[in-house]
Amino acid sequence: MVPEFDLLMPQTLPEALEMLGDRAPDLTPLAGGTNIIVYMREDRHRYKMLMDVTRLNELHGVRREDGHLVLGSTTTIAELLTDPLIAEYGSPLRQAAAVFASPLVRNRATVGGNLVDASPAADTAPPLLVMNAEVELASQKGVRRVPLDEFIVGVNETLRQPEELLVSIRWPLPSTRSSGGFSKIGLRKGAACSVVSAAVMVEKDEDGLCQSARIALGAVATRPIRAYAAEEILVGQPLKLQIIDLAGQLSAETVSPIDDIRGSADYRRRMVEVLVRRLLSRAAQEMAPREESDAT
Amino acid sequence: MKYKAKPLPPVEPPDLRVVGKPLRRVDALGKAVGSTVYAGDFSMPNMLHGKVFRSSQPSARIKRLDVSKARELPGVICVLTAKDLPDAKLVTDMPGQTGQKRRAGTDAPVLASEVIRYRGEPIALVAAERLDIAEQALERIEIEYDTLPGVYDPLEAMKPGAPVVYEPDNIVATWKIRKGDVQAGMAMADMIIENTFSVPFVDHAYLEPEAGVAWMDDQNVIHIRVCTQVVEHFRSIARALGVPQNKIHIQGTLLGGGFGGKEDITVEIFLALLAKHTRRPVRLAYSREESIMAHSKRHPFIITHHTGVKRNGRITAAEIEMISDAGAYPYLSPYVLLYATVTACGPYRVEHLKVDSTSVATNNPFTSAFRGFGAAQACVAYEQQMDEIAKALDMDPLDVRRANYLSTGDRNATGQQMKSAVWLEETATRALEALGEKTSECGLIKVGQGFASYMQSYGRITWFHDTSRAWVGLELDGTAVIRCGVPDLGGGQVNTLCQIASEVLGVPLENFIIYSTDSALTPLAGTTTATRQLYMSGSAVHQAASEIRRVLLEYAQLHFEQDIENLELADGKVYVKSDPENLLPLSELTKMCAAEGLPLSNLALFKAPFTDPIDPETGQGDIFPDFTFGAHAVEVAVDTETGEITLLKSVGCHDVGRAINPIAVEGQIQGGSAQGLGYALMEEVQVVEGVIQTPSLSEYLIPTSRDLPTTKAIILESGTGLGPFGAKGIGEPSLTPAAPAVANAVTNALGVRIKDLPLTPEKVLAAIEEAKNA
Amino acid sequence: MQPKMITLTVNGRKHQVAFSPDETLLNALRQLNYTDVKNGCEKGDCGACAVLLNGKAVNSCLVLACQADGSEILTNAGLGTMDNPHPIQEAFADAGAAQCGYCTPGMIISAKALLDQNPHPSEEEIREAISGNLCRCTGYAQIITAIQIAAERMAASALADSGQGGKQ
Repeated sequence: MVPEFDLLMPQTLPEALEMLGDRAPDLTPLAGGTNIIVYMREDRHRYKMLMDVTRLNELHGVRREDGHLVLGSTTTIAELLTDPLIAEYGSPLRQAAAVFASPLVRNRATVGGNLVDASPAADTAPPLLVMNAEVELASQKGVRRVPLDEFIVGVNETLRQPEELLVSIRWPLPSTRSSGGFSKIGLRKGAACSVVSAAVMVEKDEDGLCQSARIALGAVATRPIRAYAAEEILVGQPLKLQIIDLAGQLSAETVSPIDDIRGSADYRRRMVEVLVRRLLSRAAQEMAPREESDAT
Repeated sequence: MKYKAKPLPPVEPPDLRVVGKPLRRVDALGKAVGSTVYAGDFSMPNMLHGKVFRSSQPSARIKRLDVSKARELPGVICVLTAKDLPDAKLVTDMPGQTGQKRRAGTDAPVLASEVIRYRGEPIALVAAERLDIAEQALERIEIEYDTLPGVYDPLEAMKPGAPVVYEPDNIVATWKIRKGDVQAGMAMADMIIENTFSVPFVDHAYLEPEAGVAWMDDQNVIHIRVCTQVVEHFRSIARALGVPQNKIHIQGTLLGGGFGGKEDITVEIFLALLAKHTRRPVRLAYSREESIMAHSKRHPFIITHHTGVKRNGRITAAEIEMISDAGAYPYLSPYVLLYATVTACGPYRVEHLKVDSTSVATNNPFTSAFRGFGAAQACVAYEQQMDEIAKALDMDPLDVRRANYLSTGDRNATGQQMKSAVWLEETATRALEALGEKTSECGLIKVGQGFASYMQSYGRITWFHDTSRAWVGLELDGTAVIRCGVPDLGGGQVNTLCQIASEVLGVPLENFIIYSTDSALTPLAGTTTATRQLYMSGSAVHQAASEIRRVLLEYAQLHFEQDIENLELADGKVYVKSDPENLLPLSELTKMCAAEGLPLSNLALFKAPFTDPIDPETGQGDIFPDFTFGAHAVEVAVDTETGEITLLKSVGCHDVGRAINPIAVEGQIQGGSAQGLGYALMEEVQVVEGVIQTPSLSEYLIPTSRDLPTTKAIILESGTGLGPFGAKGIGEPSLTPAAPAVANAVTNALGVRIKDLPLTPEKVLAAIEEAKNA
Repeated sequence: MQPKMITLTVNGRKHQVAFSPDETLLNALRQLNYTDVKNGCEKGDCGACAVLLNGKAVNSCLVLACQADGSEILTNAGLGTMDNPHPIQEAFADAGAAQCGYCTPGMIISAKALLDQNPHPSEEEIREAISGNLCRCTGYAQIITAIQIAAERMAASALADSGQGGKQ
């Protein structure tokens, strides 16, 4: 037992924000604990105080609001798999949830926790990035929104200020002419840490050309990133094999992976190309009219 | 390629009622409802909590060690260093045996005092009122190291001038085989094929980390309740403590897995020391990270094969070099090396054979026993070599093996005659047949099939003069008791003994109670290692039960006025075969025998063959009681863009001699092969400059339920084993062929071979690239 | 910091005990003598510590005891006993699914969670449901068989209970 350690259990959001306001930076919000409790075990002195946010109803649940999907930050990964709104409006995120850690971890891990922990390999980040998600941060001073792309700034580093709480994540409802997905490579098929991950979201216009494309990559840089150059070349184009190949290659050029025990930088770079190409092909196929798809 | 099972010789199925039946194990329900008390689940009043302080350096000299601040922490009851120990050496002789001619001394200190040879080497012990206080005490121990140059590669360690980890030259052990005339044999060959294969450090990764509780009683006996594969360690523990052997009492628990990792002493001496010094019960339990750091690993091996073959596939000569990484202390390295050497050429007739093996010390984590014990590593090499020979000769892989397989009556690499059934072709063809037609390929996914045959010894090295003892007794109500020192690792060791005795005595399995794994209260049965327990303790139990059976039937003979041949002892009664209503319940019979002063219990001693050590110059001689033979076959799908391998099908076919409990045998085949499949695909304790890079189960990967298909287990029973009812052994054999089967399947899929395990996606891609460029 | 008084209802039994705020639920349960909840890794990799927390299967090593204040917890030992085992436990015993048995309590918890949601799971669904429970002894095969047997038996007895029993 560390003498100064404490666990606070606020009942309402205002109470939680007050606690944060009073005690920042000594107080860290605790949601599912699937990262924090592991860190605590490694270093007993790492946290002075934790604040359990899992009982705050305001942070939980999924709803539609003003053409957006609003996801409470303490929604668990498991809940993403059964929520009908996520099924309809958050397909890439749902696909990531299906291969996130293990079923036992999914029942505790939260989307907010995954984002605030900000591992470069955080599996919820790429799908949320391609859905143009924003995070909502609350403090005693009020609420602000930050695009997810700006929110995560480095390894385990975000723009969350010590007195702020990540309360929700929101993204515009994808158009009916869009399709997206998530894929990852791990060293085994169950309970695998991502060696590389990728998500895409593409939208077609009435003429079947690509109206917008978003590509996000995980575990290949200090933070999950968008592959802007690859996205740009897709816009205005029919989603055919050649352009998809090029997008894959450009994505691979975007990244700066590292060598570690799970894989080499070179392998990661090559897998970015493969994953992006496969995801784009799949998305193109899903959006194809009944006759033969262009991208096969 | 359609493979048809080779017909088996007609074997009369034995008339058995209990043996061979898929009965529920005696320990099954307790485990299923969570009642079973493991080594870490036990506590005693007034108990302290122990922790081990370990080296953070792999190669160093301790310059300064100051435990005073730790001692001063309130709640810390004692802190021990090497200065506090009477005999600082941990000598792990092959335990439980006498008359051995060669010793595998570790020279490992119980607690390091000067030189540190591996990262994690124990330096001090703490006992405190609470676990968190013990942990804080560790933080207060002050230590300064002088870093010493270290060596982390066995090839480097063999070079003159390398840092010395093991005096004088880092060579921990060597073995040789010289058989025939290899030069002449190579000259006869149409082709010589050469390949080098390597395998990494692997962790046992049993779910139960090492744990135990020790306490000292009013006669100064130190009781140690601990998960161990070897109860006989009490002798070494006594020496380390400086107490007589009869003052150490091991109460072994049902293990949460062993696989060889709990074969050496782990926490026992630490527990005993803390209990002795504090005179209070002490609990010590390793965390997973500590377990990975502190216990042995499977030996990495580099194995080079040069094989001379004729165009028809027949091997004319083989020359094999093997180098293993012994890590920082020898432990069982010399014997692991021996097993590898003896099986180096595989289950094949090789008249002209030269094997040179060396085990080399480094500052890496120490290596010791792991299911397969060197023969598994040897198989990874020889079975891949056989497939390479097939490729070079453009022959079917099975045909190459058929041209060379041993048969009953042939002599193996050390000139030992194979006396039991050698069902190599029988098992290989069945495994391949069960694999079926190759699943069709699709686009970038390539499919391959592969198999491996093997030989694995069961029973220990015969010059250890192995013995086992068991006591069987009947109560006066017809229930039965077994007392046997056997440790149960989870493979059903205790249940098997009950099932054997149940068959012999006619007492239903559910009426058995077995007391096991106690160094003072159960007859010593030797180690649960070397696939020996069914053979050794099974035979001892069979012997003991048979003696009681004889007593019962001789009495019944008089009672029924029938010849013994007309009497049957089964289902809890004795009855006349031709008139089953003419019966006596066992509960009656036992009372009657007891009234006559007849013995209703028996203590049996079973001996394996006792031999002399082999000729060190030629490696010739009998070494093991016998061998198990079998095969494993797999089908894999390889994503040629990502390198990911998916196991589609897996089949293990083994001649187990006799399956005492078919569910248990099936479980061993499925579980052992799972470890082999993991070995092939994902398991590696990565070590860099002596530092483990895979410290927990997040980094050290073992297969999950999504990584393995169900392995189909095909059990053959030749009845020719030396064990009870003709049993052989399956514990280690089940693992041995699995990894090379995968390697061969992947090679079949890709057309190119990766010669070092594990076959990670990245290595697969690199191999595909190389093949394209070639 | 002061230990906090919390209430845990474990296997139907209410415990009011003080725990240090940094104590995990795993260690709290084991201190309360629920030693069927095993420590295999203490960081969510192995599943040996799995319990049902308010009906959801979780790694108890990744929950602080105080976070579980007021919760209902089910451990494997709460599902059944030697005299009255739960069908899942019986099936494990019959199918040989417990070899060393150390992964078994956590494995059965995951199986229970699965069968509560999905009484007729496919093999693939079973494999997915237990993918967070490592087993080193069985290769998972007999565990999957056990869960299939349990599903069949539980469905049959549910049918029987509902008065529609008879030929299956």
